[in-house]
Amino acid sequence: MDNLNDLKAIWLTAKTDSLPASGEMLRMAKKFRNEKIRKKLMMIFIALLLAAIMVFGEIYNGSTMLSTHMGGACLIITCMILAFTNIRSLKRFIDFKDFNNKEFIEFMEQTKRNQLYYYQKTQVAGMAISSIGLLLYFYELVYRDTVLFIVTYSAAIIYLAVMWFVIRPRNFRKQNLKMDETLRNLHNIANQII
Amino acid sequence: MADFEEIYSLYSPQIFRVCMGYVNDAEQAKDLTQETFISVWKNLSSFRNESKISTWIFRIATNNCLRAVEKNKRVTKVELPYNLPAVQEETQEDKLVFLYKAIAGLEEMERIIISLVLEDLPQAEIASIVGLSDGNTRVKIHRIKEKLAIKFKDHGQFE
Repeated sequence: MDNLNDLKAIWLTAKTDSLPASGEMLRMAKKFRNEKIRKKLMMIFIALLLAAIMVFGEIYNGSTMLSTHMGGACLIITCMILAFTNIRSLKRFIDFKDFNNKEFIEFMEQTKRNQLYYYQKTQVAGMAISSIGLLLYFYELVYRDTVLFIVTYSAAIIYLAVMWFVIRPRNFRKQNLKMDETLRNLHNIANQII
Repeated sequence: MADFEEIYSLYSPQIFRVCMGYVNDAEQAKDLTQETFISVWKNLSSFRNESKISTWIFRIATNNCLRAVEKNKRVTKVELPYNLPAVQEETQEDKLVFLYKAIAGLEEMERIIISLVLEDLPQAEIASIVGLSDGNTRVKIHRIKEKLAIKFKDHGQFE
């Protein structure tokens, strides 16, 4: 290498003709729909719809037992937690901030820490509340028929056990490993901008 | 307000080269360039001229490159093999491939900084894109140049 100008001359020889033409790029940009935003909007819609159905049920189903109302309330709270978490995370995709690289890495680190908090705390709380809600909600519907009671509660307990002891730990382990690695990488990059 | 197509025609080759310097993969660099201009298109109306439009676009592009860590696609550093046979007649393409390899051996932020230097951006603009002080940027650029010079010297390239 003789000097930086030699490198600049070489650098500029990179072929850029595979890039789309400006008109084509404009069409692509107009057509672009962010799948992540769509998924989050769908999740918020479903959570709010379920909450509305539960509220409607609470008002009109004429249940008399406290356990049903408590169960309904727990399930509504879970739907609201799900909706709130997704609305908060949606802001991240919609709010555009003109970050420099240093601010962007800090923002990504904070986002990952929020996600880690969600998996470690919010998701556990949501699952616990919905599990209790589900068990309480069914009681009034099945307590008069012993066979139905046993079948319903066995199915519910098996379902919850699988969720708590198989699916969640597996997903959590996977997500945790991925997030730990991402945080390590982000930390490493943050240290390069000091 | 500048026209999108005009902005694209002016900056897309630069953005592609900077992304290429970061990822050392033409397809990935093309995807990153397109993602950058989709973001430019979506947010052009909110651009408030607080910085130069080039600074704004380079920030979006380099942040997109950095976002690769989120997908755990951390671009692995490439170590150049030692004792490369001295090539008598190097084509421009060979030289470019070697330059990309040498850059791929640097840390993430070093790759971004040297790519911006090679695009001939003023140091103050590079500092504003990266988020470092002017003085710190100058020191970093100097160190990166030294690192590259060693790599080139070790492999007997372009002497």
